[in-house]
Amino acid sequence: MLIDTNVNLGSWPFTFAPNRTPAQLTKHLAASGITHAIVSHFGAAFQPEPTPSNRELLAATKKSKTLTPLPVINLRLANWRDQLAECVAAKVSAVKLLPTYNNYSLSDKVVGEFMTALNETKLRLVISMRYEDERHRYFALDMKGLPLADLKLFLKRNPKAHVLLSGIMIPEVNELAKKFKNFSIEISFCEWINSVEDLVKLLTAKRIMLGTCTPLLSTRGEVDKLRLSKITPKASQQISSTNAQQFFNL
Amino acid sequence: MIVLGDVLNYGGTPNEEQLRLINDETGGIQKMFPDYFVGFCYLNPNLGEKAVMEEVTRCVTNYGSKGIKLEIANSADEPCMRHVAKACREFNIPVLQHSWSNTNFRSGMETHSDPDDTTLFARRNPDVNIIMAHLVGIGYRGVIAAKGLDNIYVDISGAYPEDGLIEYAVEHLGSDHVLYGTDIPIRQSEVKIGAVLGAKLTNADRQKIFYDNTAKLLNLN
Repeated sequence: MLIDTNVNLGSWPFTFAPNRTPAQLTKHLAASGITHAIVSHFGAAFQPEPTPSNRELLAATKKSKTLTPLPVINLRLANWRDQLAECVAAKVSAVKLLPTYNNYSLSDKVVGEFMTALNETKLRLVISMRYEDERHRYFALDMKGLPLADLKLFLKRNPKAHVLLSGIMIPEVNELAKKFKNFSIEISFCEWINSVEDLVKLLTAKRIMLGTCTPLLSTRGEVDKLRLSKITPKASQQISSTNAQQFFNL
Repeated sequence: MIVLGDVLNYGGTPNEEQLRLINDETGGIQKMFPDYFVGFCYLNPNLGEKAVMEEVTRCVTNYGSKGIKLEIANSADEPCMRHVAKACREFNIPVLQHSWSNTNFRSGMETHSDPDDTTLFARRNPDVNIIMAHLVGIGYRGVIAAKGLDNIYVDISGAYPEDGLIEYAVEHLGSDHVLYGTDIPIRQSEVKIGAVLGAKLTNADRQKIFYDNTAKLLNLN
């Protein structure tokens, strides 16, 4: 069983990445051995508010046995409590934040209010660091990665909230791992020689999950990073599926 | 596998002695596994014609170097590149030029060779084979800039594996002009191989990208 924790529906306006239907996406993922995926919608990054794309995501995944929705909450907007309530009503297991794309900082006061509200829902939290490497993204989207200082402050302020960091790079993991244990990562933007082996040593396999950032990155390439890593069968199973099953309550 | 010593060990503009140390390191690695590793001669074209020709002669003579490697000492559109072209002609070897789209340049990256710079060098020297490195770094505009130039090849090394870009390069440049590459140790071969295997290509195209094109370019057979 292989669970991908970073997959997206919708259009990315600055690449030729295909806007797949749920069925096409499932087929594409299956070709690389992925049996289940946690899916968000790109519309939440670019549209004025995420509710329409969240609803589209929920509808698209409703009948799917392989796609689990991960809606986005935009804390820059006054209606974030309504957004969250809609996610609770839809019985999702987790929500995602896109601070940079949605134009707010993790150090903003509203983030504390959100964490209090989230704690009451028991939903898990995914924080996206980036969707693209800023060194080779299209010039029309001048977007930096999530500032590490903000993330450190967030992790310090919320010691009991174990979050999944999506799109994080290895130097950032190295920096965070010095002080914090209340986070897990997915590996789509972690690439160095022996990436997974080194991350297991640094974090333990318990805090690592597969992520491919499909459709922006090569699904097969990202899967092979894990599949061909030299780690124990137990560690491989944890990263491939067990950790995601537990985190997303699958 | 094409291997290089630590080319940025002394910064972007190494002097003659530093170049020799780097190229000796490359040669040492080659000699450990001569059937597996192929060395390229690393240069700083700013050092002038005499320095360039002497170092290439030394590398080809001592180590059998099969190509020239250029990093960020200068941009590929600068006049000093004529020395590199002369060495390529004299020894019948290609040049592997670090390249990156300047749409994402930060301050201080002016010598990273935009695809327009690298392809200008190619147009000025149509008898010299040029490998424009880092397909994801040069991006779609890099592929477009290289289209129609028979002496340009792109390699897929470096950066995260942006989906669809390999197919785009094959569509516009032909599978004869796309080369497999990794950028190890700052990248991972499993990811790059997977990106080619996962791309919508024919097996014949994959065979060319993984092996045939480079073998032909470097006269490995």
